[in-house]
Parts: sequence; C-alpha cells; structure tokens
Amino acid sequence: MAEPARRRVPIEPGFFTISEDAGAPPQLLGSRCRACGEHFFPRRMVCARCLAQGCEDVLLGPEGTLWTFTWVHVPFFGQKKTAAAGYGVGQVDLPEGPRIQAVLSGAQGDFAIGMPMRLELETLRETPEGEEVVIHRFRPVEARA
Amino acid sequence: MKLGNVAVLGVGQVRFGVHKVKSGIELARDAALLALADAGIDLRSVNEAFVGYIEPAAMLAIKAMKELGLTGLPVTHVENASATGLVAFREAAHAVASGRAQVALALGFDKMSEMARGGQGGRGPGRDTIDSVILPAAYFALWAMRRMHERGTRPEHFAKIAAKNWNHGALCPVADRQADHRVTPEEVLASRKIAEPLTAMMACPPDDGAACAILAAPELVRKLRPGRPLVRVLSSALQTETYTPGHTFVGPVVGPATMSRDTANEAYRDAGLGPADVSLALCHDAFANEELEYYELLGFCAEGEAEKLVEEEQTSLGGRIPFNTDGGLIARGHPGGPTGLAQIHEIVVQLRGEAGRRQVENARVGLAHLVGGGSVCTVSLLARD
Repeated sequence: MAEPARRRVPIEPGFFTISEDAGAPPQLLGSRCRACGEHFFPRRMVCARCLAQGCEDVLLGPEGTLWTFTWVHVPFFGQKKTAAAGYGVGQVDLPEGPRIQAVLSGAQGDFAIGMPMRLELETLRETPEGEEVVIHRFRPVEARA
Repeated sequence: MKLGNVAVLGVGQVRFGVHKVKSGIELARDAALLALADAGIDLRSVNEAFVGYIEPAAMLAIKAMKELGLTGLPVTHVENASATGLVAFREAAHAVASGRAQVALALGFDKMSEMARGGQGGRGPGRDTIDSVILPAAYFALWAMRRMHERGTRPEHFAKIAAKNWNHGALCPVADRQADHRVTPEEVLASRKIAEPLTAMMACPPDDGAACAILAAPELVRKLRPGRPLVRVLSSALQTETYTPGHTFVGPVVGPATMSRDTANEAYRDAGLGPADVSLALCHDAFANEELEYYELLGFCAEGEAEKLVEEEQTSLGGRIPFNTDGGLIARGHPGGPTGLAQIHEIVVQLRGEAGRRQVENARVGLAHLVGGGSVCTVSLLARD
C-alpha cells in the first residue's frame, strides 16, 4: 500500500480550494453579486459595485491572463524563505473580472504580459504535525519557447 | 472644504535616519519642541493634538504628548499607514477651520528601523497571512513593469528620478541620505536589485524620525510671528479607493493609481488652484517609478508625457516644477508616521524662503501628496500670502 499523501492546509482559510487529487489545480473562493453580476475575490457579503447585500459563493479560475509581473530578488515578506534566484510576482486577470495578485511559478524570463496563466498550489513549509502549508500561485500555461 | 482661514504657526523635524538611542516618543518630543519654539508658544497654548504613528503598540500618542507636559488637552491617535502624518495634519487643519481649536498640533513619529529588524515582516500576528506574502517593493514593481509595457518607459527614467532625489537630499539638513558625491543614474541602476526593474537606490529606507506642525488662525499667527511670511493651508483632501472593475483586494495594495488623480482634483478644487499655480510638490516616492506616475496623476503633465518631464529634468531643483526638494521618501527618508509632516516642514521652509541651497525661487504654493496601504490618498495645498 502506497504511503498516503501528506495533508495540505491553506496558509489562511477561505481563499482557495485544495483538491484531494494532488495534480488538480486549486480554484479561488470568490463571490458573485446576485443583483449586478460582478465577481470578487476574496469572498464578500456586500457588492463593492452596486452595494447590494448577499453575494453568492462561486469558484473562480483556474485560468487567467498575466496583466503585469516582476521578479523579486529579496526574501518573502511574511516568510523565512530565501530563494537565491528570487521569485516571480504578478497580477492575473480572471475571465470573470477580478485581478489577482499572487506569486508566480517559473524562472526569470518565463513571463510576458498577456500570456495565459493557470493556478497551482505551492508548499511554503511544514507544520510540526507534518502537514504541508500551501498557498495559491500562477504558472504559465505553456513554457515559452 | 476650503481651509483658507488656517495658517502654519510652527514646524519642527528631527533628522530622519536610524536613531539607536532615542525612543520614538523621545523623537516625537524633540520634533514637537522644535515646532513649539518655531511657533513661539508652549503647550498651554495648544488646544488639541493629533498624533500619528504606525508601530502597533497602543497609547503611544498620549504618552508622547505627556513628554511635553500634562495640560489636559484632547489628544487623538491618527493612523493611515504611510499617509499617517499628512492625515494628522488634515485633522489639525480642520480642527482650526471649524473653530473647535484656536491652536492645533499635528505630530508624527515612528521607528521603522526596529520594525524592519523585527524580522521578516515584523508586524507580529499578521505575518503568516495571504496579505503578507508579497512585498510592497514587488507591488510597486508591478506598476513599473506595466508602465514600461504601455509607454516604453525605461529603467533609466526611474534611475534619473531616484538620482535627483538623492541629490536633493544632500542639500537638506534633516534628510537621512546625504551623499558625499553627485549621485548618477548609472550608480542607481548598478545598485542591488530588489524587484525588477527597481533597485535598492530607487527605494526609500526604513527610517526612524519625528516631525510636527502647529496650526492656528492667520490673525493669531500674524500676532505671534509678525514679519514672517504667512503660510496658509488652502485645502486638505483625503480619499479611499473608488471601485473599478479589476480591483485588487488582496496583498499590498496602493491603488488604483487614479485615486491620486481624484484626490488631487479635490484638493485643487477646494483651494481654487490648478497644477500651474504650484511651485513645488512633495509626493509618495517610496519607489522612484511612483513619482513618475504622479507627475501625470497630480496634473503636472499630460498622460504619457511624464518620461519627457524626466528627460528634460523639469522636476529637479531649478526646473519647471521641482519634486521632492528635500529628497523625498527616497533620500529624506520614510519612517511612516512622520513622513507627511516632514513634507509639510519642507513646504513651509520653502514658502518662508528659508531653504538655503535648495530654495525654490519665488516659491508660493506647495503640494504634499501621500498614499497609504489599504489604501488611501491625501493631498494638501499650502500657499504663502
């Protein structure tokens, strides 16, 4: 019998799904206004556009378009992680409307404004109980030639 | 709201930088004592105080004021991230304008160097959250990359702005960074990379410091300080974001950039002035590319022409509209709480004609602009009679 996969827990609850299938992409926990149809991430009760109350829960993603990006040469703000080569950060426009700011997966030079991106989960660290703490990030749908 | 019946009675600032010995409260005391001396009054004449800091410990606003004396005056803690000091200034101006206070004091202080040393974020319980993963530097780098994509802006433009602010700072005695040589754009570009295309010399330092401004009715200022040029507060606008599709809610957010345009327009309208009337401007140049965006958003050039302004050095001392004449956040420094009051200090010194080697000729109107995370924008306009 294969060793069971380690349990994955979100860095903070309420922002994205974690599939039992380790290969499946996460989706973002968003909202849709029942009155005007505007979509939001993260979830909210009052519509930021028309102020109607009672947005409904929807899942957003997993794909979008890169609006802008950068390559960061310094360690994470809230983490001890120090990636020697740095890491990407970007804003991705989802087809539903919201612009999502997140860490990017890939090497410096892999990114271009306008390219299609897909969500995935990144393991940030392990808890003392052996769980993997994960966060959502975006990866180019296809590596650039 | 027009504020023409409010004038500056006194200003004070301690030099920004890393202060290893003095606490934030002691720095605040020193800045307030400088402002009280400049005003020619003591604490008994102050009717109300607005005290701003970002460092999260409670009650420090009142404790800082107690260092100056215990007179029973009302004290309110004001906090609006990087915009804190300028928002405390706005509250003091409105307290005087409403007649609620004859004399109101705005005081800001912070020890950002200790927050930075507090390790990886340094903000305590908030650190392991979705919001804390991405650095502010990365956020502003995203602006820069998009600008380069849309307008063909080059890193050299940002480097030129940073070098200008370093060189302005060298002329300002209360600035943190006082380079011993003329800083070149090449030097800025060659400094350590932080987030593409931004380098360390394009970024503000995490400073300690304090600054203070004391406001009163113009008649009282004339009586207490006869013979000194009268500096009026014309307007002070504060806005938060207006929803637009594609709004980003999570992460370090200071935007959308249009918030600066809307807030500036409100300040201009209230003051009955336009950008052409402004002699000098101080803006939130936490990163050099921000300043380039604000040339347009504050109305000093048309959209898409900010790069030309940089190339022609129109925002340097001696140019058409000098920006960040004291070095700005990049060179004067950015402790957080006092930053906006340092901008007021610089504008008042310039409008009084006391800025020495960095004096803007015939300075008549000064603009102070800050944004703060969350996010907010505040713009104040001051003018010499």
